[in-house]
Order: sequence, then C-alpha cells, then structure tokens
Amino acid sequence: MATPMVAGWLKFAKEIEGIVLDIAGVLYDSGDGDGVPIPGSIEAVNRLKASGVPVRFCTNATETTRVNLVAKLNRIGFSLEPNEVFPPAPAVCQILKERGLRPHLLVADDCKPDLAGVEQHDPTCVVIGDAAHGFTYDSMNKAFQALMQMEKPLLISMGQGKYYLETDGLKLDCGPFMKALEYACSLEAEIVGKPSKTFFDAVLKDIGISSDKALMIGDDVVSDVGGAQACGMRALLVRTGKYRPTDEKHPTVTPDGVVDNLQQAVELFLSCRDK
Amino acid sequence: MQCSAPSLRMFKSSKVCTVLIDLSGTLHIEDYAIPGAVNALNRLRRKVNVKFVTNTTKESRRVLHERLHSLGFDIEKSEIFTSLSAARSYVDTHKIRPLLMLEKEAMEDFEGVGTSDPNAVVIGLAPSCFNYSKMNEAFRMLLDGSTLIGIHKARYLKKKDGLYLGPGPFVHALEYATGTQAVVLGKPEKAFFLEALQEFSCPPDQAVMIGDDVIDDVGGAQKCGMLGILVQTAFSWIPGKFCYRSLIPAVATPTYTAISTPTQL
Repeated sequence: MATPMVAGWLKFAKEIEGIVLDIAGVLYDSGDGDGVPIPGSIEAVNRLKASGVPVRFCTNATETTRVNLVAKLNRIGFSLEPNEVFPPAPAVCQILKERGLRPHLLVADDCKPDLAGVEQHDPTCVVIGDAAHGFTYDSMNKAFQALMQMEKPLLISMGQGKYYLETDGLKLDCGPFMKALEYACSLEAEIVGKPSKTFFDAVLKDIGISSDKALMIGDDVVSDVGGAQACGMRALLVRTGKYRPTDEKHPTVTPDGVVDNLQQAVELFLSCRDK
Repeated sequence: MQCSAPSLRMFKSSKVCTVLIDLSGTLHIEDYAIPGAVNALNRLRRKVNVKFVTNTTKESRRVLHERLHSLGFDIEKSEIFTSLSAARSYVDTHKIRPLLMLEKEAMEDFEGVGTSDPNAVVIGLAPSCFNYSKMNEAFRMLLDGSTLIGIHKARYLKKKDGLYLGPGPFVHALEYATGTQAVVLGKPEKAFFLEALQEFSCPPDQAVMIGDDVIDDVGGAQKCGMLGILVQTAFSWIPGKFCYRSLIPAVATPTYTAISTPTQL
C-alpha cells in the first residue's frame, strides 16, 4: 500500500546510480538459527541486481564475520558476495592498524576473526560491538577497568544502535552498552559504522558515485536514514525490522520516503525508471 | 597531611549542627576501617548531630550496620540512611509494583512489597542482574510503559583491588535505549540530603557533608546549600594510572579538601 510520501521520492529515482541496503530488518530478521528472510526481500535484491543498478549492503551487525554473515544469508536464499557487504569490523581492523592501536575487545566471539592480526596486549583502546550475551557485568567491568588504566582512554564503538529486532522480539544493541561505558568513564566514543560519514563514504567510493546519486534503504531512522541523509544521500525508511510507528514522527529525521518493505521500494523504484 | 583553603578556622566557627557522613571510602573500605576514623567519629558526636548516608545498594541496612559495628564504629542502625531506604519509601508512597534488579542481600529492605505484574524497574548495584537477558527484560518492560527508577547513578565504586562499575552506567544504558529519563533517588539528588536532615530539623546551611565522591557527595550537598568536604582517603588504594583529581574542576569545588578523614576536625 503506497503512502503519500512515496510519490515524492520517486521524482529522483531516475537520478539514482547506486543503492545501499541495510541488512537486518530490511533483508531478513536475525534470530533462530540463520534467521528468516523478510517476505519479498530475496526477489527484490535479485531484481535490483538484474536491473544493472550497483547494489551494496551496509550493516552494523557484528555478531559474526563478514564471510559468515554472507554465508548465512546465502543459506536462507540470498545471493551475496563478501565484497558487496560492508560491516564495521573490517573497517575497525584497518583503523587499528593505521593508528597503531591495541584493542581490548568487547565483541561477539564469532566476530573476533575479523579483528585479528592486531596486538591485544597492554591495550590502548576498547572496541565494542553487539556482543549480545557477551555483555555481562564482568565483561563490561573489564572493559571499564581497561579504559580507566589508559593514558588516553579511547572507546571505539561499531555503531550506536539502541536495539534491533530478532525473531523473538526487540533486543538491546551495542549502543546502550557503549553509552554505559561513556557514562562510567566520562568520555565520548568514536563510532565506526552507520551513521558515521566516513563509513558511508567508503561504500560510495566503492561504487564510484557521489552521495547525491545514492539511495539508502534501512529500518533504523537515526543510523540508516539520518546517517545517510547527513552525507547527502537520499534515504527511505522501511516498516519492517526494528521500525516503530513513532519513527515516522522523529524530531530530527524526516525520511525522503517511507515504504512498507524492501519489495515495495524496489517495485516502485524500478517501475519509475522503466517509464 | 594538609588541608587546602578555605581555612580550618572558618569551618570551625560556622554554626554547624549536623554532619552527614558517607560510609564506603570515607569511614571504611570494605572490611577495613580507615585509620583514625573511629576516634574522629567519637569526637564529632560530642559536638554535632551525625547521620550516615550511603548509596550502597548491595546490602541491607542491617548488614551494613553489622559490618560497621564489627569494625569498631559505635553506630545505631537508625542512624544509617541509605538510598535503598529512600527507594523503599518511594515505592510505598507511589504504590509501585517493582521488578527489583537488586542483589539478594538488599532484597531484605523490600520485604512486603508486591512484585507480581510489575509496572516499574528498580535498579540498584546488582552485578548478577546486569547480564543481557535481564537487561532485555527490563528494556522491554520500559518500552511497554513501565517507569525506570535508579536507586542511584554512581558511575563506579572503589574496592581494595580497584574500580568497579556502579549501577549508573546500566541505568544510563536503559535511558538511552528507551529515550526516557530515570527517577533517581540517592546521592547527589537534593531530596536525598533533605530527607536525611529532616530528623534534626536542620537547615542545609547549618549542615556539612563529608565524603569521598566529589560529584555525589560534595557536589550534591552543595546544591542543597550545605558545606561539602572532600576526603581523598581512597586515593592511595587505587592502583594504575587513574587520576581521581581530574574530575574535581569539572563539577564541584569542595569547600575544604582533606587528605585523610575527619581526623583533622
């Protein structure tokens, strides 16, 4: 069911030379086993790729490595390649190497291979991701103590999302735990991942387009939509995943369009370009 | 041992009728009485009213009292005013049915409170509750409209072997996740200090707070109009490079800074 807002964003559909898709909440809902595809999303992605429009996948999920995430999505019906997928962990790894940082990791165990190859002894920063059950008082305390012993405490957070949707309901993302450490240490974290401009710019550079020619589609009104718009991209909000009706009346972010799901977004987008 | 400005004489001549004293970090650190504190307290009692105020939420008032007694402090249980007492009073007054995120030892102070079909989340220092499952349970209740109550929001506490996260960061995490603000009951909230002074009908400008936390003890007391004395007792216990002093200029300027506890008074 198209909403009045849809007509507006279709006006620029023909100018779009690249599409950036969020993963959790747009392609699938994580949770039980490999998770469940959102109805229509598999075909939507296939249609987009077949149309020749460059497509990239930009996620803050760090529950596993990039390679494993792609394998999981392909097991449930998608056809993705690792070099199309942009999670924060490989970007963090590069930053750690460039700046000579040694991390104390508060991340999911399965994510650690994407952060390998850096010294971890006598840490000079803490890296936090969506560790889920890895967040305990003990693990949070160890990260806190590590920060308090640093001469220049540095907290690098892979995203700042408040929560995400899994098959059994909404769950806390790494954002609240990042805020907990910020509060405890009176510091501000560096964000790697959405909504950081550097993160979006890396994706745009990979496609080879400027931001005004790109369209982001996501379920997080702040990190996906707000973050993309702050870079100069257009952005659509989907009503799947973590979406809540109050997101459409967000005090600071107005999406360029709101659609029911990825399938609707792609149908409208492609039919407009065919005209 | 030195004391910084303003001078000790100014403090001694002011009309102080009540002294509120923090416990952990000021009178004792875990099972160690701070040297000189027992005698200092006895001398203080001859001149002024005294009350012990603490944000400790890991233990009930009874357990706290037993520990202080065993360390040689001559204190009545009724002289101890904890943030747990403040929370119990709040829950009763507002007829709240809480999900209590507290350690077992603290639950005693909530005996008799109905907890089925909870409509609020009450958070104290509860390491066994600060895990992903329990935090998610609290998060979903808050999204459904429950009230978030933080017994206090201390950032961390000092133990013999270093610094440990307080409940504050976890309350803050849930505030961020739900876009709400917690009701906070303990130090440095004004209501907490005023309730502690109420028993003596003592106006804040005739009262002094002595504590080791520049934000919660000194800053909180000063906002009420009280004098705030900072002790740096625990400083020498903290290993590593952490510099406690860096917090001071940002928030509150203690009226009087001492290297050790009430010994100089």
